[in-house]
Amino acid sequence: SADGDAIKVCVRVRPPQEGPVPPEGEQGLCLAVLSATSIRLHSKPEPKIFTFDYVANMETTQESVFSSVAKTIVESCMNGYNGTIFAYGQTGSGKTFTMMGPSESDNFTHSLRGVIPRSFEYLFFLIEREKEKAGSGKSFLCKCSFIEIYNEQIFDLLDSASAGLFLREHIKKGVFVDGAVEQVLSSAAEAYQVLTTGWRNRRVASTSMNRESSRSHAVFTITVESLEKTNEVVNIRSSLLNLVDLAGSERQKDTHAEGLRLKEAGNINRSLSCLGQVITALVDVGNGKQRHICYRDSKLTFLLRDSLGGNAKTCIIANVHPGARCFGETLSTLNFAQRAKLIKNKAVVNEDTQGNVS
Amino acid sequence: KMAADSGWAAVCEKFRTARTLSAVESRKDPETEPYRSKYSARALLQEVKQLLSAAEEGGEARLLAVRRAVLEYELGVNHTDTEELSAGEEHLQRCTQLLEPHRLSPDCVSLYIQAQNNLGILWSERDEIKTAQTYLESAEALYNQYMKEDGNPPLDPSEHFMAEEEKLTDQERSKRFEKAYTHTLYYLAQVYQHLEMIEKAAQYCHTTLKRQLEYCGYYPVEWALNAATLSQYYLSKQCFMESRHCLAAASVIFSQAGQVPSAEDNETEQDQQDLRQRKAEIARCWIKYCLNLLQSARKLLEDNIGELDPDRQSELKVQRKKEEDEKEKGRKKAVLFGTSDVCDSVLAMEEKVSSVYPLDFQEAREIFLVGQNYVQEAKEFFQVDGYVTDHIEIVQDHSALFKVLAFFEEDYERRCKMHKRRIDMLEPIYADLNPQYYLLISRQLQFELANTYYEMMDLKVAIGNRLEEQDSHTIKKINSLAQLAIKYYELFLDSLRNPDKVFPEHLEEDVLRPAMVAKFHIARLYGKLITSDSKKQLENMQTSLEYYTFLVDYCEKYPDAVRAIETELELSKEMVGLLPTRMERLRAKLCPFI
Repeated sequence: SADGDAIKVCVRVRPPQEGPVPPEGEQGLCLAVLSATSIRLHSKPEPKIFTFDYVANMETTQESVFSSVAKTIVESCMNGYNGTIFAYGQTGSGKTFTMMGPSESDNFTHSLRGVIPRSFEYLFFLIEREKEKAGSGKSFLCKCSFIEIYNEQIFDLLDSASAGLFLREHIKKGVFVDGAVEQVLSSAAEAYQVLTTGWRNRRVASTSMNRESSRSHAVFTITVESLEKTNEVVNIRSSLLNLVDLAGSERQKDTHAEGLRLKEAGNINRSLSCLGQVITALVDVGNGKQRHICYRDSKLTFLLRDSLGGNAKTCIIANVHPGARCFGETLSTLNFAQRAKLIKNKAVVNEDTQGNVS
Repeated sequence: KMAADSGWAAVCEKFRTARTLSAVESRKDPETEPYRSKYSARALLQEVKQLLSAAEEGGEARLLAVRRAVLEYELGVNHTDTEELSAGEEHLQRCTQLLEPHRLSPDCVSLYIQAQNNLGILWSERDEIKTAQTYLESAEALYNQYMKEDGNPPLDPSEHFMAEEEKLTDQERSKRFEKAYTHTLYYLAQVYQHLEMIEKAAQYCHTTLKRQLEYCGYYPVEWALNAATLSQYYLSKQCFMESRHCLAAASVIFSQAGQVPSAEDNETEQDQQDLRQRKAEIARCWIKYCLNLLQSARKLLEDNIGELDPDRQSELKVQRKKEEDEKEKGRKKAVLFGTSDVCDSVLAMEEKVSSVYPLDFQEAREIFLVGQNYVQEAKEFFQVDGYVTDHIEIVQDHSALFKVLAFFEEDYERRCKMHKRRIDMLEPIYADLNPQYYLLISRQLQFELANTYYEMMDLKVAIGNRLEEQDSHTIKKINSLAQLAIKYYELFLDSLRNPDKVFPEHLEEDVLRPAMVAKFHIARLYGKLITSDSKKQLENMQTSLEYYTFLVDYCEKYPDAVRAIETELELSKEMVGLLPTRMERLRAKLCPFI
């Protein structure tokens, strides 16, 4: 299972704004797709070549992005693994298009619909198929939740009245958002309905640099529970499918994704609130000695702890804008994506057996 | 003259409004327009700049240049704040150019340092840390030069747009100037961290903390947490005196946090909760302190089979006597936090636990007890319900404390009981834990439980060997401990299997050593099982041989693995050579007629 373990990393290049595709070079494009797995960035003095599991060029269709990247994650989710699909990239790099599709009000049926609606369809298709195959012996329960992480606070997008929520852990169920609304799903259309309702509650912001930039991370989680009865033994399997839309990468100054930026002290009257992060980094590189680091990971990495180097299957879709003006952000996105490839992921099927055999 | 005066007043007013917009109002901007106030402030600053150029004729050149530099500075910061780096850089560069000739004079030095700070930030945003470093180091040098040559409290940049009667007191000036310099050090700490100059970065963090305390620029809780974290850096360097000092200061400053009534009186449940969590976090740093001190002492004292070496012990005791006289000297070299009052409390706090290596059971026990108290404190907040990972980590630390204490215990029976305590705390948690979500912790627990049973078995064997004749009770006990150790090693090895239950052909680096050790220990355990049934004994030897063979074969196939398990491999090879002969002999005894 050589390719099943590591995190899968895919890069997608969006087309530049409408109009003819500009030439490579100074005023035009800063990169070229060389093959289905490699990309060349026109950095100076030497161009740089990056290799990934999959590179989608400007012409790649939504369908083929889905089937080459996300399909296997949904399948393994049916087999009892936890799965996570991330979208990463700067504002305007095409994250929303990749994940959701064009911004028309109802794009669930749209031919350009994105990874998320297609994942829903495929998941429920697989569930129906399983049910048919197994007959009455097997049943499924799907639930979903949709939360937003903004400024290290957690909000429930399915309950706009809710205040900040907290992450907690359960010895049997792992990490969960305490008090998040869970909605039962019976079809892909229903899932999409829930998603679009929540999506409208997200926090966005406009600046003179970016017309619209999402300042929050959004995590849509589907829990798939299957119950199978053979003789007197009841087999319960449960797995999670996380669909994550990260805040624009230029906004993520507070995560590990950042480059080398210094943390500002900000207002002269306030304390140097990030000193802790610097010290934490110093302790991090300790030499295997026993130590405790007071500052816990960010909320996002804590929530997705299983997905990053834990016990799940994960893929990251890094979106880039090919324009020469986006060179800096594109470089940092590609660097991030390359680092992500180094994260090891071990997947283990879980079956807890209930009932008595005797 | 009157007209000019009222004109100037208006200019000052505009400037002040711009600063308020930027610093205060902007925090209240709606999420949809995060820079609204910054943009308004920018417009005002541009206006001020124009008014100033209009007044240029007839004005004093130096005064004008400095005022313009203030405006360029404000505009530079404004543009950087709103993500327009290039424009920001131009303004800041113009500011430093204007100030260059006057940078050591009291009306310019603070502004110049702050401009350099901001250029440092700006270049770091462009991932050019080396460039950032040059600006910040030159700011640091300028501060030092100014303090040496002049040292009077310099003007704050905002004073250039103030009426004479509004100007700041020397005390306020000094406070603001020192704060700007603290920021320089704080940015430098980050620069050094990014450049992987770890020791230097730690030193700058330490100094930043010290200055925050001196100039009262800190939130107690945050400061305490930072100091506690820094203590963990010193732990990794085995600097126990510094580590203890940071922790004691953290505890003292944290206790002040509870006493200060909060800004809004209606402190929420959440704030209380946060405060309790922070307290528990500091307790966890103390646990690690005690654990490291004990473990390091153990390293110094153990002989080549991991037992306490009495010669080494007396040697170290003599050495310590000598060092005690020099202790005071060492104390003076360390950077101490706080002034008189705080410092006294910190020193009193330090008295409660030693910072020198414990050399016998009594000394080890004292440190153990301090650690155990902090375990209880940390567990009060990090309960298993809600904080699974943290809770288990604390329990693991508790187990580790017992383990290292057992090293100092001479009586084997009592030592065995200490290990039993470890089993009692780890086993129930392991039983409840779902490996789908906690695979890594689950493996750690399997391995630790296996090792603990293994150690207990070894102790029982040693106790049994002292007796004239092993009684059946001891034998039963030894066998049952060995079986339990085998059970947990096997569980650990099973956790490495893929979904089709197949053991991996090639082991990943992170599990290679533990997996090999597990195999090796299982092999030894089968060798130790005591039975009077020769057939059974033969079976056990066969199993033992299979596990030893696994190690040898694996290392032949993957020679890279040899490095991780050299000793174990050597012994395994020996056993693979010896066991077949022994088994042959046993077989011959079993069936003497064949």
